[in-house]
Amino acid sequence: MSSHAATGLIDHHHDHTTSTGIPNKKLLWWAFLASDCMFFGALISSHLVYRLNPPPGNAIPTQIFNIELTSFSTFILLMSSLLMALAVSAIQRGNVKSTRLMLLGTMFFGCIFLGGQVFEFTHFVEVKHMTLSNSIFGSTFFTLTGTHGTHVAIGVLLLGMMYVRTFKPAAGGGLFTNFAHLLAVCVVMGVSFIYLVPGLIEVIYGASLGDLLRHHALPFAVGAAACAALVWFARGSTVVEFGEQNAVDVESIGLYWHFVDIVWIIIFTAVYLLEYL
Amino acid sequence: MSAPATTSDTSGHHEPSKFHVYIQIAMILAVITGVEVVLVYMPIVKWLVVTALVVLSAVKFMFVIFFFMHLRWDKVFCTILFFIGLILAGFTMFALLHLFGSEAGKPLSAAALDFARLAIG
Repeated sequence: MSSHAATGLIDHHHDHTTSTGIPNKKLLWWAFLASDCMFFGALISSHLVYRLNPPPGNAIPTQIFNIELTSFSTFILLMSSLLMALAVSAIQRGNVKSTRLMLLGTMFFGCIFLGGQVFEFTHFVEVKHMTLSNSIFGSTFFTLTGTHGTHVAIGVLLLGMMYVRTFKPAAGGGLFTNFAHLLAVCVVMGVSFIYLVPGLIEVIYGASLGDLLRHHALPFAVGAAACAALVWFARGSTVVEFGEQNAVDVESIGLYWHFVDIVWIIIFTAVYLLEYL
Repeated sequence: MSAPATTSDTSGHHEPSKFHVYIQIAMILAVITGVEVVLVYMPIVKWLVVTALVVLSAVKFMFVIFFFMHLRWDKVFCTILFFIGLILAGFTMFALLHLFGSEAGKPLSAAALDFARLAIG
């Protein structure tokens, strides 16, 4: 944190206590994201190499993709980036309540994106019969988008941890409560992107809502209980430790979240849109 | 959430709000995404659509990293560090696409593959 923190003047973009003038946490995240660029660069180019030189019997992407759903997912991910930026802005102004709301919104949008991907993958395997191993296109596509989806899921988990951290009491303690709170967040998010969002997309495409509720009654009941637990955990009025001095922590998680967004910007164009030309 | 968010930090100085900047950028990003989707269905020459898609994606990319990721307001070293990774990734992609784009690097057809397997024994 900045040396100005003690005087009540927090410079969120510079840290005069480090030799680079950049907070160490932020520098670490930028270095990691730079290395992750190379990781995704290799995966995207592997996919493109086989798309430019398709082997015989390869799948035909335009017969498999659902561009409306993917465009919607892209829009959702972009809007989640907006909420993340607003969460960082809120904590930089010391507004913890607004930060919590924005973090919850970002996680919710992240779950919609992940749910769309769960639906897409299920549809590709069960309806279009494209698996990880029955075509080169399937191998490179699932590896690339699956790796990106894993990054999004890790991002949702990190956001959940940050959300729970905003409730940490200034007086200390509360480790078990924090753990239970994080568990409730994980259950709600898991049920959302594994059952609720893919189920609702199926309902939009003509499935019955009643069937959805009957088939997944148990996960939905557990999710509803976890939702109630989240409301219960959020009811407290204790003085919390979290504040403007933690802005760099929220910003660091934000960097990771925006990174998965920019990777998707590239994937959406290179993997999906270019196929329609 | 309804919880009163009481914080131990009582300093009076805060960052000026960038709320309107973020909203405007998000709207621009949404519009660009819409334009991209419409572009692929337009009866325009292929090279022009590809160029437009690449440029629009690059614009979206830059908006996110410079505004949402705060590179515009942070030390220039963060930008340099990230662009080192980005440029290395770009060169890796360029090299791989050219390496496997050459005649010798192309995957074999089914018949040629069978012939090669028989020749190896």
